[in-house]
Amino acid sequence: MTDTIAASALRFPVRTHALENGMRIICHEDRSAPIVAVHLMYHVGSRDEQPGRTGLAHLLEHLMFEGSLHAPKGQFDDLLERVGGTNNGSTWLDRTNYFETVPSNAVELPLWLERERMAFFLPVLDAEMLEVQRGVVINERRQAYEARPYGMADERLHQMLFAGGHPYAWPTIGYMPDLEAITLDDARGFYQTYYTPGNAVLVLAGDLSADDGFALAERYFGDLPPGPSIPPPALPADPAPSADVSHETMEDDVSFPRVYAAWAVPGYGTREWVALDVLAYLLADGDSSRLQRALVREGRLAQDVDSYLYNTALCGVFGVVCTARSGIEPQALESAVRRVLDEVAADGVSDDEVLGAVRRVRRDQVSELAMVEERAEALAYAATVLGEPEALERVMDLYPAVTPEEVRRAAEEWLGAHRAATLVVVPRAGAEEVADAA
Amino acid sequence: MPPESRLAVLPRPTLGPPPAPRVPRPERYTLVNGLRVVAAPRAGVPQVALRLVLPAGSVAEPREHPGTASLVGHLLTEGTETKSADELHARLDLLGAGVAPSVGHDFTELEVVLLSETLAEGVALLAEIVTRPTFPADQTERIRAESLDALIARLDEPANVADDRALREAFGAHPYGTPSFGTAEGIRGVPREVLAAFHAAHYRPAGALVVAAGEFDPDELREALERGFAGWNGAAEPVLYPPPPARPTNAGRLVVHPWPDAEQSEIRVIGLGMERRDPDWIRAGVANFLLGGSTITGRLGANLREDKGWTYGVRSAFAAGVQPSGWLVETAVDAEVTADAVAETLREMRRLMEERVDEAELRRAKDALMLSIPRLFETPTSVAGRLSTLEAYDLPRDWWDRYPAAVEAVTADDVRRIAREHFDPDRVVRVVVGAMEG
Repeated sequence: MTDTIAASALRFPVRTHALENGMRIICHEDRSAPIVAVHLMYHVGSRDEQPGRTGLAHLLEHLMFEGSLHAPKGQFDDLLERVGGTNNGSTWLDRTNYFETVPSNAVELPLWLERERMAFFLPVLDAEMLEVQRGVVINERRQAYEARPYGMADERLHQMLFAGGHPYAWPTIGYMPDLEAITLDDARGFYQTYYTPGNAVLVLAGDLSADDGFALAERYFGDLPPGPSIPPPALPADPAPSADVSHETMEDDVSFPRVYAAWAVPGYGTREWVALDVLAYLLADGDSSRLQRALVREGRLAQDVDSYLYNTALCGVFGVVCTARSGIEPQALESAVRRVLDEVAADGVSDDEVLGAVRRVRRDQVSELAMVEERAEALAYAATVLGEPEALERVMDLYPAVTPEEVRRAAEEWLGAHRAATLVVVPRAGAEEVADAA
Repeated sequence: MPPESRLAVLPRPTLGPPPAPRVPRPERYTLVNGLRVVAAPRAGVPQVALRLVLPAGSVAEPREHPGTASLVGHLLTEGTETKSADELHARLDLLGAGVAPSVGHDFTELEVVLLSETLAEGVALLAEIVTRPTFPADQTERIRAESLDALIARLDEPANVADDRALREAFGAHPYGTPSFGTAEGIRGVPREVLAAFHAAHYRPAGALVVAAGEFDPDELREALERGFAGWNGAAEPVLYPPPPARPTNAGRLVVHPWPDAEQSEIRVIGLGMERRDPDWIRAGVANFLLGGSTITGRLGANLREDKGWTYGVRSAFAAGVQPSGWLVETAVDAEVTADAVAETLREMRRLMEERVDEAELRRAKDALMLSIPRLFETPTSVAGRLSTLEAYDLPRDWWDRYPAAVEAVTADDVRRIAREHFDPDRVVRVVVGAMEG
């Protein structure tokens, strides 16, 4: 083999068109499977919530599956399943999405259903619907966060990292008292403000021509009024943990200590973000990576170590998470992580490390984008937070050009000790000692 | 949006005939040493998914050392006759290859995901780790210690405790009753020589198979396989299965594993299912789909989640096995409704035994299953996964071609018979991990 990145870049050709009401339509034709992915993304997320009403964006997403005037409760999933389709939705910091994948004969069905809930949702929204979905979401919070070992760590870590009212400070699932307090009027108001054609991007990807896609979009969404314009939210100040909350310890019902470190970094799509993404892979993806060697394979301090980078818009979040082995104190993990980051910042990284990391990024990008559903989401996200779908290719094309010096500088500039929020989760005091398993 | 009354109500679209699914037609051949190969090339994304399947699951391991198969699977990349663990990882990471062993009860599977440009060297490395691992003492002890820690950490999570208990209740001392990753005692005690002997006995070309899917040149693949696996010989030792278990001892009873102060209860309802080759498999799939195959529209989801709001999700499934495996319902509910949720689950099971499902509901389930085929062969990893299942369980090669007609032929009487055989509350054990009284 040759130790270079293949010249052939991944290409996702699109055609874009805007409806008169401002809704943006993006078509990506790929005939390799007889299916079409329909992806509707609204530019609204938990960052648009008000204090005291956290969790509203996500609870509204749940309600959106509960029916509309001409497709009453139970029909949404039922109709899509009948034609062999799947559907789901998700809420995150910057966006909320609704998506369906169907055999290509059925593409009009999800469009009709999305029109329905964009135009005819409020008449069916009632107190009973809210109570049932409030219960489902409260159970989701318990199951996915509260009852899960280490499940509350990310919530606390974000509070520490985004002190001072930054809208990434609170979790998408919402705080329990807020979930209990959300009213019908809250849900109505949020829907009326944000669920408008002008605030939405629609991607049609797969076994469908762009011309057909545009015609269908016009038919199902062209007559909808644009809705009120949304005042641009005030941009928050640059996030940074305050000095007094940059390090904390939290007890949980767990057997092993786990260390979380996070940094606020440049946002998705910037050159620095791409260099940081390469750094995240270089640090902990693959057994030969720096942190795997220092903490797990050679250091034998940790059972596992992971690094991640959020592709969020206001800023990115870079994180490192590692779990102690039996008999190892979390301080040893903290200093080992620090040492590795300092080494990268001081001495740099090799060409081969960068090459391998870029290949592994590409491997994951290819795996993810092999599905039209994921491709539709990536295009919708690029259009939503970077302004146009072509930005997806533009960002991917930055990777092969990343240099070892850029990676070193990213570590030096963004991952310094003074910028870190560190949370150590330890077994609850009084819990029985874990026997040394070895 | 403004008053809905001003907007046109569009009729629900009528759909054309569904597209013909494109089921891959792979090339099949056997290498001189007996290794079966299934090759399904398709241009699209520059990726190859290789899936190597060995009859080396936990059923094959020595009964006194549960965990042998899992340790062997995870030690493949930790040193071979020609490369140290560090050299192997450095090479795999530079290629950007993803290597993921998964050790089940029946099989050990190794999934290797490669960028197409690295196929030849990727296959060579795969052959190296599968045929010539050396289980170095140092790495063996590290993986052993990490596995033991992981076992302890796993039990911090009530869902895992519930899963393990359910298996134990259904299968008792049968190997299906022990998690496929083994037990702490087994992992702690198994000597290195036993690992090497297990590898020598069960990692053999005759009996194994490799599936390739994605973008590759079939001739290049064949050459690489011939070259890489050239020195590998012999047939895997036959795996001796004990007789399948009879009805669970605690059938009809509730088993409670206390979890003080839990806000949610993990519920499992488990009984015996059927072997993957059972002629009833597709009929059972339809019956299960009606009950809990879809978390929203199945009868369990419609009741527990959509009607009551007690849970975030509930599902049921037949597990695939060489021998009759389990049939399992799983959910997590509000602690205070635990008893009610168990009762409602059993009520839905009984209803399917006692009342004939009406034609409309049955039609819906059949359509959902049949029409989803186009989505099942979209990516290299999904193609490789589905083809390896057919080969591993020795199912008819035209399974997916015959699937729609087989689903169509399922009758309401079939569903009732399956329900009586598998969903009868008298034949299943209820397992609750939570704060419920026993």
